[in-house]
Amino acid sequence: MNEWELVAAILAPALLVCGAVCALASPADGLVALELAGTITTTVLMLLAEGLRRQPFIDLAVVFAVLSLVGALVIARLLEHDL
Amino acid sequence: MSWREVLATVLLVAGCALELLAVLGLVAMRSTLDRVHYVGLAAFGALLVAAAILVRESFSLIGDKALLTGALLVLFGPVLVHTTARSVRIREHGDWRHQIERHAEEEGE
Repeated sequence: MNEWELVAAILAPALLVCGAVCALASPADGLVALELAGTITTTVLMLLAEGLRRQPFIDLAVVFAVLSLVGALVIARLLEHDL
Repeated sequence: MSWREVLATVLLVAGCALELLAVLGLVAMRSTLDRVHYVGLAAFGALLVAAAILVRESFSLIGDKALLTGALLVLFGPVLVHTTARSVRIREHGDWRHQIERHAEEEGE
């Protein structure tokens, strides 16, 4: 295991913490946890692309960064009244 | 170990530490508006990791895309934080624009 994979393995359990906040806290706090989880997932994908020398993972990271941003914006707008 | 590897490792550890700090902040803070600050911090952690990849790989395909991803997260992070805080404000206290209009109508009468 190289240093990139090691850092990815350290960061991945942080997603469980974000998931727990999503499940247990209020919808607004859950949205914040979801945004943080999106950033961490993007970072983990970048780390795996470098650590495993697999270039498709970096494309996945770019796409995921954009989609998580758009998704969080949509949920934030819905949160104003509907959720 | 070359200076590139040392610098990449330092940036990698710093990025990882920032992201872990952001998760710690998410758990430790009590209100939503306190918690939302840590989304921006995590974006800077991602930028540091992208910089670490760029230092190691130089401007290659993977380095360019890592830089693009980090820049996207840092540039649009404040937009996301602002939108979230605005939604939380409207959800808790109502739309302030309606309150301003009502106040203006009352003053007009």
